[in-house]
Amino acid sequence: MDRRTFVKRTSLGSAVLFLGGVDALAYDEEVKLPLPPPIDVHEAPLGKRSPLGIPGLYPGRVVEVSDPRSIVRNRVSQPIVGQMLEQGMKELTGESSVRAAWAKFVEPKDVVGIKINPSGAPACCSSPELVREILSAVESVGVPARNIVVYDRFGYEMDIGSYQLLMPPGIRVVGVQGDRLDASGYDANVYCQADFFGEWETRSYMASIVASEVNKIINVPTLKDHSASGVTGCLKNLGYGTFNNVARSHRPPYSFTNPLIGVMCSVEPLRSKSVLNIMDGTRMVWHGGPLTQNQDFIYQAGILMVGTDPVAMDTIELEMIEKKRRDEGAPSVWERNSKSITADGGEFYRDRTKNLFFRQPGHIAAAGKLGLGISDLKQIDHRQVHMG
Amino acid sequence: MPMTNETRGTSAAPAADEWVTLLCDNTRTGGQGAPPMEAPSRARWQLRLGSSVRSAPVMRDTTLYVNSLAGTLHAINVETGRLKWKFEAPGQIHSTPSLYKNKVLFGCDDGNVYAVNAELGGKSWDVPTKGEVWASPVVRQGVACFGSADGHVYAADADSGKLVWKQQLGGRVYSTAYAAEKNIYVGSGDGQVHSLDQTTGKILWSTPTGNGIDSSPALVRDTLVIGSLDFFVYGLDATTGAVRWKYETGLGISSSPAVSGDVAYIGSKDGFLYALAIKTGELKWKTRAGEVVTSPLVFSEGVVYVQSFGTMALEAATGKVMWRAGLGGSVQGAPVIRERVIYVAGNSGEVYALE
Repeated sequence: MDRRTFVKRTSLGSAVLFLGGVDALAYDEEVKLPLPPPIDVHEAPLGKRSPLGIPGLYPGRVVEVSDPRSIVRNRVSQPIVGQMLEQGMKELTGESSVRAAWAKFVEPKDVVGIKINPSGAPACCSSPELVREILSAVESVGVPARNIVVYDRFGYEMDIGSYQLLMPPGIRVVGVQGDRLDASGYDANVYCQADFFGEWETRSYMASIVASEVNKIINVPTLKDHSASGVTGCLKNLGYGTFNNVARSHRPPYSFTNPLIGVMCSVEPLRSKSVLNIMDGTRMVWHGGPLTQNQDFIYQAGILMVGTDPVAMDTIELEMIEKKRRDEGAPSVWERNSKSITADGGEFYRDRTKNLFFRQPGHIAAAGKLGLGISDLKQIDHRQVHMG
Repeated sequence: MPMTNETRGTSAAPAADEWVTLLCDNTRTGGQGAPPMEAPSRARWQLRLGSSVRSAPVMRDTTLYVNSLAGTLHAINVETGRLKWKFEAPGQIHSTPSLYKNKVLFGCDDGNVYAVNAELGGKSWDVPTKGEVWASPVVRQGVACFGSADGHVYAADADSGKLVWKQQLGGRVYSTAYAAEKNIYVGSGDGQVHSLDQTTGKILWSTPTGNGIDSSPALVRDTLVIGSLDFFVYGLDATTGAVRWKYETGLGISSSPAVSGDVAYIGSKDGFLYALAIKTGELKWKTRAGEVVTSPLVFSEGVVYVQSFGTMALEAATGKVMWRAGLGGSVQGAPVIRERVIYVAGNSGEVYALE
């Protein structure tokens, strides 16, 4: 990438940041939240953008498939989630055959990355049962097992989720980072740079596996609330699961996850390679995310969502979590009352009314303004399929 | 503590230099045995390895052997805390080392199992497989046995590394085997527990569970105790594979049981430790240890030790917590205890001698 493009992307990022910040402040009645700093993006050179890239083949379309049999006594049923996935893929694409539906996204010559979310393992993470069904589907269109890699940034979280054990032989399972400070798995030429709190390292680098190893990414996030960003869905699993050094974007009680999450998802080649999102909602974390192990806040929802537009999917996810929080007597993720904030992590994990940050779910709409999808509920084609 | 048939778990006791399961035997002390120790109050020494440790250390005489994720086997002098030598493997290491005669054996993510001279650090032999090897090699009657992510169990001559047999199972094999006199017992990623003929690798029986198995079994007389990711601890008839009992915990089980007498101690991903009667599966006690327990437990002289975002000791009879220490955060580690010093390593890449 040349200097001219770098400046252009820097300028674009900064402009969007201001819009995102103003939007967030509009909700602010009791506290004054700081505006985010500019973000400079240094991205990979790109020719013509792939039509499969975000927001993909079906902007604004979200298929929600529900089946209460998909999770029973906290165990996910692989046969049932397999059926739900087939139904969702056919509904999303309009194809009558499952194989034809998958062939719209992957082809035999592809090297396919399956981006899971193990961060809440073992209580709530991308279900290995669902991941195995996705692997089977990808192989069914002719992609050999050796060209499929299941990955996330943190190997130790994947260890806790036992993903390495539970994937079929022949599939690569990769944790990009061996430990917290391991930067060897990142591309020094692709990064986002911003100084949020005066941190000594102001860059976040893209994982090499995304920058140069795979050419298609299937995103498998979970349905979760998040103490800093409001929800962790498609966008956060892609953005913060691809770049390193992202925890620096939130320091209690302030969070700049809006707009960093969306900006990261817009960086090439991540944007062009991300072709499909399959959100695991068999379990829904409605408080304490992303790491809680408290089963009191984990609802066995029995849902999958399928789509190519991560903004639309996260918009629906946000609605679901807001509703569940209302039902459970928890404040909105948009809460701006400083009395809701605690500095005690233990209290946060026990008390549904407390949070560590002023959450920033505005990152979803901000990502929409970057062209990554549709965040207006009236424009979202939300299709619901009930099974079982 | 001397090796007895009871701690070894079989009626025919292995030879003194044999290493029949994860961390040597059913107690998981690495063959050390040890008197119970009080809560450590200070570090005698600390060594920074520079890379995360995802396995358990083992000790012989005055040397502690620790594998790190960077692909390095470290030999550490426990009296000084200084490095004696290190062996660099080409891939990451998640495998807990085992000891046989003058060799340190371990698996590597490059697909090989290595035998390294325990005194000098030079390579003795390697055995290739087609997947990463996270299991720990076990040795019985001169044969080293280990599973691979390629879905096979391998047996090789422990002195030369020459392949004796290999047997395909239905999933990845991350469970460290238990090598009895005539049988190999091991779990697999497809959820099956298998018994293999020790000399040929032929599958003698297979018993399904509801999810994958990376727990390593303990064998107590004719009962095989093992955990499954289906949330259950199983007690199986070692001769036939029949399920004698199963006990349900709150989440999946990756931890491996430690045994004393008629009781098996095991952790679950639900964060609890469980003490179960080996004969019936009856719960003796359960105690919350933390958020998640995936590490093997260690039993020594009436005390159960476990690492889970720190290190803790519990009374084996009651489950009462005796002490906790904040060091030793680990997902697969286990402490080594000897002469009132406890050695721990963990995700941070630090090794501590605590006293």
